Amino acid sequence: MSARPTPAELQSLTEQAVALARAAGAEVADACAEGSRAFTVRVHGGGIESLKQSGTLGIGVRAIVGGAVGFASGTDTSREGLADLAARAVALARFATPDEARGAPTPAEAGESPADDLDLFDPAAADLDVERKIAMALELERIALAHDARVTRSAGSAVSSAQGTFAIANSHGLARAWQGTSVSAWVVALAEDGVKQQTGVHGMARRHLADLPTMESIAREAARRAVARVGARTVPTARVPVVMHPDIAASWLAEMYDAMTADALVQKRSWLEGREGTLVASNLVNIVDDGRLVRGLGSSPYDGEGVPTRRNVLVDAGVFRGFAHDHYHARRLGTRSTGNGSRGFASTPGIGYHNLCIARGATPVSELIARIDRGFYYDDSGSFGFNPVTGDYSFQAQGMWIEKGERVHPVDGVTVAGNSLQMLRDIVAVGDDLEWRGAVASPSLSISEMTVSGS
Amino acid sequence: MPSEDATDSLLSRSLPRELAAELIALARANGAEFADVYGEHAVLTSFSLEEGRIEQGTYSVLQGVGVRAIRGDQTGYAYADGFAPAALREAAQVAARIARDAQASPAGPPPPFRVADAAAPFTLHASAARSFDETAKLDLVRRADHAARAHDARIAEVSVSFATTARQFVIANSDGLWAEDRADLSRLVVSALALEGDERQEGFAAAGGSVESAHFTSERTPEAVAAEAAASAVLLLSAREPEGGRYPVVVCNGWGGVMVHECFGHSMEGDTIRKGSSIRASQLGQQVAAKGVTIVDSGRVPYSRGSYRVDDEGTPSQRTVLVEDGVLVGYLWDLLNARLTGHTPTGNGRRASYRDYPLCRMTNTWIEPGTDSPEALIASVPRGLFCKKLGGGSVNPADGNFSFQVTEAWQIEHGRLTHPVRNATLAGNGNDAMLYIDGIGSDLAIDGTTGSCGKDGQWKPVGVGQPTLRFSGITVGGTAVG
Repeated sequence: MSARPTPAELQSLTEQAVALARAAGAEVADACAEGSRAFTVRVHGGGIESLKQSGTLGIGVRAIVGGAVGFASGTDTSREGLADLAARAVALARFATPDEARGAPTPAEAGESPADDLDLFDPAAADLDVERKIAMALELERIALAHDARVTRSAGSAVSSAQGTFAIANSHGLARAWQGTSVSAWVVALAEDGVKQQTGVHGMARRHLADLPTMESIAREAARRAVARVGARTVPTARVPVVMHPDIAASWLAEMYDAMTADALVQKRSWLEGREGTLVASNLVNIVDDGRLVRGLGSSPYDGEGVPTRRNVLVDAGVFRGFAHDHYHARRLGTRSTGNGSRGFASTPGIGYHNLCIARGATPVSELIARIDRGFYYDDSGSFGFNPVTGDYSFQAQGMWIEKGERVHPVDGVTVAGNSLQMLRDIVAVGDDLEWRGAVASPSLSISEMTVSGS
Repeated sequence: MPSEDATDSLLSRSLPRELAAELIALARANGAEFADVYGEHAVLTSFSLEEGRIEQGTYSVLQGVGVRAIRGDQTGYAYADGFAPAALREAAQVAARIARDAQASPAGPPPPFRVADAAAPFTLHASAARSFDETAKLDLVRRADHAARAHDARIAEVSVSFATTARQFVIANSDGLWAEDRADLSRLVVSALALEGDERQEGFAAAGGSVESAHFTSERTPEAVAAEAAASAVLLLSAREPEGGRYPVVVCNGWGGVMVHECFGHSMEGDTIRKGSSIRASQLGQQVAAKGVTIVDSGRVPYSRGSYRVDDEGTPSQRTVLVEDGVLVGYLWDLLNARLTGHTPTGNGRRASYRDYPLCRMTNTWIEPGTDSPEALIASVPRGLFCKKLGGGSVNPADGNFSFQVTEAWQIEHGRLTHPVRNATLAGNGNDAMLYIDGIGSDLAIDGTTGSCGKDGQWKPVGVGQPTLRFSGITVGGTAVG
């Protein structure tokens, strides 16, 4: 079978695998298959750096015997290949501890997805011509370089298009399949400031080609970010108000999500344990995970276990509404799945978000900054610095220093630290600039006080 | 790393030499100067334990072939899962498209293959990845769980995983090179959660690498790993927040080397040197680190995850000195970037799997030992931070900004460790960080247990190392203001 299987072909594979697992001795079995095809163009220095085609078709089989789970996955989808995976999954189940909450949803338990069209598949994205992608990537780099004389080189640009098909079936007769596309573009601009290079990164991903912003707008934003950093310097250590750029706020939200899952709750790893129904954030804060956002990158009609996705409000006017569940944790805790069973072909289900965001607020970002007498505008960070168990936050940071409501000079060589629970409570204004660039998004946030450590 | 039985490996049968030669010719049909074919078969297994229960056992097979064509500085790449000749031919034809404008004529088949001659850095007799059966793996996992819980009454939850990778690969290229190698990796990871009142803290520890099964039965027993994780979690319950600011920092040996990896090593990789995007490109022969600092990358460290006989392009691994007594003396090179710049490859061409083309990557990277005793380095600091356990770290290679999460630290007052510190982050710029080293311990340790390095979305196992080091000043992130 090709790496561009139809949903029906993939569905049939999963049903075969489930039948083989049942025949091998599984009491309950499910199978998840993914087929994907992607093509990525990378450009550097005005020419093509690489052209890469990816195409994978893989399947994973989960067998439950006496409440114990075994799992096997691979890319050999011949009948012998599937039978081997089924036998291995059943054999491995013998070694796991029985747990009566393990299982898979029946079609009735799972329910049907509402009829609304999520519009996840765009033929124009699936068939985006290689030459067109090359032209787009070249344009990204060319415009970024031409934007400002201080942008002296790029660290490359890329344009990628992909299509994927997903299928899930289980031994209760549940069978679901769907497909989607994506197209993405990014560029890294480098500006020279005499001391070192400064970086400006910007990128976008969309389900539909027509929704992708122009290459010019992406390139100019990357160039602006690099130039804005020229002459950056550190500042003295102080506790000050902080305005988080949407990218930074979205990264923080993604880090916090783990604490909002039933998985973290049962393992006592959640700093939100015991806080359901209580105020955990400023009443300006609403956190929503919407699996049904039309054309959303994280949208799908069903979750990885075949349960219809939905729009879940996690934090409502500052009040924590409850934890996200997959089928297993819902059964264990006596509730219903929230449609957050997350799964790829090479893994068993876990809990994951679809389109996660802090909802749009009312304040323009210029106003967020104008209200601050002395503080930090925080728009770039390192990758590590979050403690998922405590919510403690401490990241290397870059941005702009704010004096009397104005951004006065670029800053680097600092860190920004606080605790998530306190930070959520200290949000004094939420921006009106929510924009989806991936599956997590946030508007700008104004936090009344964090520690900025510098010289 | 044994290679003796490789000639009759599954891979040799799945990817016969005639087929490899045909794929190389197809990849060069449009005039590409160079092509290679990379076949891989990997089996990944894991057992995980949560809440005292074996959650599941897993088994995954990853197998397929990637074909690369190079024209000038341009790469075409495509792969297929499995070994079906028709799918591989299609992949080769897609890769060949990189040379679509070339005027050159088809390059024809490669010369007869000759097997790369390279010595193994070490030999495994009974690797943990291949010799432990399910019962043995479960025994390790359960023993770790019991030991962590028994360590302290405040340990409320424990997660344990034991994972193995048994991977073999074959590489053939248009120069006529044929090389095969394998890697057997295993890893035991313990996470312990300590609760006391409203305080909740987590501690981690890990063991493994490219190791014999005896590693887990004698050197690093599950009990020892569990005790380390539990002790760290309990200690953090009483830890204080760090003071934010720039001041002297002493960084532990072993895993502390993640600093040299991030804030120096990445800027020495041949792709960034060739493109000039690394500040190091123009610094050959210049002082880039404090006097006394010697930095080495070597894929030949015994039992490390970062070691191999040949890299993923078939080049033998070697020891490469990057900095000698503070002066930059050499870079890391993969095949493509070495060829374009006229350098000799250093065995640093690596790829995450057959689904990716090779990049220039580090192997095991460390700072050589000096003469100071680690105790004396701490004793010499009037007021500062001793970083005992580091977590993850990252660098932006273009601007040099780096940061590290410090999972366990101690406050130093008048040369003595006074109290534990949690949630510290070290931040700085790789352009000058190595110049601030002002004390080099004699206690070099290389940690090849658990490190993975990400670059362009590709993750590869690495080792890092250093002796205990004193830095005259690093920015420490924290919530306390002094």
